[in-house]
Amino acid sequence: MSITTDNFAASVRRFSPRLLLSELLLKQWFEPVIPFTVMIGLWLYFALTIPNYASVQNTVSLLRLFAEFGFVALAMGFCLISGGIDLSVGAIFALCNFSALFFLLVLEWPVGLVIAATLAVGAVLGAINGFLIGYLKTRPFLTTLVTLIILRASVNLLNTGYAQMFATNSVDSEAWDYFGGGSVFGIPINAATLFVVLLVCHIFLSRSRYGWHLTAIGASRKAARHAGIRVRLMLFATYVLSGTLCAASGIFYAARQASTDSTTGVGWEFQALTAVVLGGVSLAGGKGTVWRAMIGALIIFLLTNGLVRMGIPGYVTSAVTGMILLAAVGIDVKWSKNRGKAIQKIYVNPAFVALAPAPALQRGSASPFAQNDRLIHAQAIGLDQVEGPEDVILDRQGRLYGSTRDGNVIRFSGPNFEAREVFAHIGGRPLGMQFDRDENLIVAVAGMGVYGVALNGGVFKVTDETNRTWYKLNDDSRLRMADDLDIAPDGKIYFSDCTTRYEMTTNTLDILEARPNGRLVCYDPATKTTRTVINHFYFPNGVCVSHDGKSVLIASTSLCKVFRYWIDGPNKGRTEVLIDELPGNPDNINRASDGTYWLALVGIRTPTFDLASRKPGFRLRMVKQVPADEWLAPGLNHGCVLKFNEAGEALESWWDPTGTSHSTLTSMREHKGYLYLGGLENNRIGRIKLDGVDENWSGYDAYWGANSRVTR
Amino acid sequence: MAMFDHLLRDIRSVVFRDGAQNAIPPLDGALSPNDRLDSAVPIGDALPGLDDVVVARDGSVYVSARTKVFKLTGNGLATRTLVAEFDGDAGGLAIHPDGRLLVCVAGRGLAAIDPARVEPRWLDKADGHVLTGLLSVTAAPDGRIFAVEGSTGRAPEQWRHDLMEKRSDGRLIACGAALDDAQVLLRDLPYPYGVAVSADGNSLWLTESWAHRLSRFALTSNGIAPREVIAGNLAGYPARLHLDAHGGFFLGLFARRTHLIEFVLKEDDFRKEMIATMAPDYWIAPAFAGGGDCLEPMQIGSVKALGIQKPWAPPRSYGLLVHLDGEGEATDSLHSRAGGRFHGVTAACDSQYGVVIAARGAGRLLLYTGDLR
Repeated sequence: MSITTDNFAASVRRFSPRLLLSELLLKQWFEPVIPFTVMIGLWLYFALTIPNYASVQNTVSLLRLFAEFGFVALAMGFCLISGGIDLSVGAIFALCNFSALFFLLVLEWPVGLVIAATLAVGAVLGAINGFLIGYLKTRPFLTTLVTLIILRASVNLLNTGYAQMFATNSVDSEAWDYFGGGSVFGIPINAATLFVVLLVCHIFLSRSRYGWHLTAIGASRKAARHAGIRVRLMLFATYVLSGTLCAASGIFYAARQASTDSTTGVGWEFQALTAVVLGGVSLAGGKGTVWRAMIGALIIFLLTNGLVRMGIPGYVTSAVTGMILLAAVGIDVKWSKNRGKAIQKIYVNPAFVALAPAPALQRGSASPFAQNDRLIHAQAIGLDQVEGPEDVILDRQGRLYGSTRDGNVIRFSGPNFEAREVFAHIGGRPLGMQFDRDENLIVAVAGMGVYGVALNGGVFKVTDETNRTWYKLNDDSRLRMADDLDIAPDGKIYFSDCTTRYEMTTNTLDILEARPNGRLVCYDPATKTTRTVINHFYFPNGVCVSHDGKSVLIASTSLCKVFRYWIDGPNKGRTEVLIDELPGNPDNINRASDGTYWLALVGIRTPTFDLASRKPGFRLRMVKQVPADEWLAPGLNHGCVLKFNEAGEALESWWDPTGTSHSTLTSMREHKGYLYLGGLENNRIGRIKLDGVDENWSGYDAYWGANSRVTR
Repeated sequence: MAMFDHLLRDIRSVVFRDGAQNAIPPLDGALSPNDRLDSAVPIGDALPGLDDVVVARDGSVYVSARTKVFKLTGNGLATRTLVAEFDGDAGGLAIHPDGRLLVCVAGRGLAAIDPARVEPRWLDKADGHVLTGLLSVTAAPDGRIFAVEGSTGRAPEQWRHDLMEKRSDGRLIACGAALDDAQVLLRDLPYPYGVAVSADGNSLWLTESWAHRLSRFALTSNGIAPREVIAGNLAGYPARLHLDAHGGFFLGLFARRTHLIEFVLKEDDFRKEMIATMAPDYWIAPAFAGGGDCLEPMQIGSVKALGIQKPWAPPRSYGLLVHLDGEGEATDSLHSRAGGRFHGVTAACDSQYGVVIAARGAGRLLLYTGDLR
């Protein structure tokens, strides 16, 4: 059974839950999904068990109670992301609560000044932590533990001195009362402020340079320092921020409660720590968002509040919180260590492919695919001077170019191509090449996109991204692995991006997976835009604009077929199968002098690989159980070049059946009576003399000169 | 329910840590890879279907190849004379203490060739079952003869079927010096390939290819004592075992085990379809020689890089001859790795010129003159 165009299209839309999961797990925003579910679950549970829990009134009062804890959790979150910890948050909160009351009731300052002064107190206390940790390089845990003890003792000392005064004095200030019990659009003022602060902090952390610096320091302090980030200053600022956030929390608490005692803020540091780690901010640093911290804080808040309302004693609640902290820390450690492995385990998702029957290769038979030895004695050019010339091309002067694995385009010139030079260093892995009308060499570069090399060897970028598919989880706007390209008469560059799920080094996995992960992309130089023309294509590899300029031929390496995509004429926009049955995995396609086409087969289909392609479960287990080096692959050591005509009929083949000279044969180019051969992993460019062909025909002329067959 | 099969096996592999799934051991110590086998020199022309090689007491060497048995004499063993030709393929050889040549003939049985007589004497049945698949034969100093039949269900040329169908129906047979009184000592063995009697005549050594196992049995007056496993998890499939001149053994391993083959052996569904629809040469299975046909399975690590097949690539075929001391401990080894020339070693023996090695995959008889002990 072979795939017709229709069920080819249907197979593209095949859904795989495993695929979805593996791509979801790769997403940053998917990480807090479990805490988020727990949070919703808790709320639903209490809503069902506690009367009037789900009412608006209750929600508003819960929000008012929560906001102050939210600030403290946020402060803790920042410290954890920076790779440290701030155990003194509860004590700073308590001291700022005292300060606010002291400034207001004892010194009788105006409300605005009280707020500014209290924030300053928090900032100064944070600055002490920050100075010790950032500049004196003390350990965050011990340092903040010490400040916790000192500040806690100071608060208790001050409380005993002023508690009576706080209880008897009072001020009559509407502004102050508004801070304590006011609302904005029905939302308590403290919760509204928290929300605004969260938004600002989120943008700061995820979109600003300093936020990235902070995360970088948390991920690796040493690497951040080597990258030129001002680590000491950033750490100092982090603890100042932490202190200021605690101060904000203290102000709201003071305004709401107007009292202070020895239990204010006791244990908040541990509640905050539990909350933040539970939400998915890593204890190891460098990972987390403000929302994760908030999700965790909400869980802890809902839990303690709910348990109290269900009449469960406080010590039980504390014990439960402790257990949760233990579990969260354990999961955090295990998950951050094994996440990569878990994704790796499920990332490759082989699919069922029914390949068309493979034609016979019997040596000496009448089949156009019959094996022969016509490539074994090909003349070797640049032997051991090129590393894997995936594509080869010749310019108008007859100079030979090869795109090599070291990121170069190598040029050979002279009568016997003995002069070797590096024509251009592009980087990435240069693959398919073509000359445009102005003789710029346009190169598809895996890992980078499409680049051009001017006549003088200067490298310029053509394009490196296309439009993103809106419903795909994997961001596919970047060109992952531009493979081969060709240029239409109107100058549009058609190129294949053979996979959006793998890289150059792992592209064999894509063939093993056999899913339509690739695409055909078109760059229009007139508008300088890049658009995906065919999304979801099975490993598109070779691309060639037909002689008449009306269609593009595309080789699908994993389906072992050649397709034709119409870019002009009555069928414009349609895709059809041109060659259904091929004995191997097709690679590059190029024009031949007699109006036909050359096709390189990089691998020969083996009966076992064909069987494996019908058995996705077999391949999945193989990928999991067998070391990568030992996976079954197509027969890549046995090269072959085919010639086929406009109707898709194979005419003749040229073989190196043992792969002595040309293994992993990926390309061929006809030029003035010779055929030049390139190989992805080979150490040479081959050349054979062709009989009975037009000895004046060259590729450039066939595209842009006198030999063009484009019909208008 | 194929899915549950795999799940159950995964669970079993965790619960029974050292069950049937033994990991392929690395080649290290005395088995460290080298290229010394490739430095051996071929003796004479190619001998397609070359199988066993033994040395006679007069210094001449007997070789079996396809249906023929040759005697090699002269300087450097250069002279070949045809000793016998059979209807079936000649396999294992042995020299009986009384000077007769014992030959295993596929599809027929065991032949004893007496130089003084024209017609060989035959042993063609044991326990009522025709001996169609004899692989190796050996004789004890007291004249008793021991032979192994690799499989009763599959002919020797269908050895890949025997492995991939996971058969285990080989036999160990003993008979008297006159090829009489044949009895089956052991049955249901996983492809017993090589058999040898130790130099002191006290123990019988046996290799079982599909179990990657080398065992020893003490010889008693009327049979054999219980099995003693000497090496239970070899890195390749053991073939024949011959005594060297110093009381040790030469053990040929005709192919390496690979992770892919071991994996396919677990994949029943894939394996059954492979057996049913493909020619054995194209199976994922061990091979005497490989790399010549583009329809053979390929593994990713075998892709040629810059024109070279890496020697450490997963091998389609491999050449490995191991020297064992009298206790069965490996002491030295000759390798021909991936991309090498002399693969599929089925037997080797000591001669006055050096070690004579039968590389069946290459179809070459080799002479190795270096040190090997």
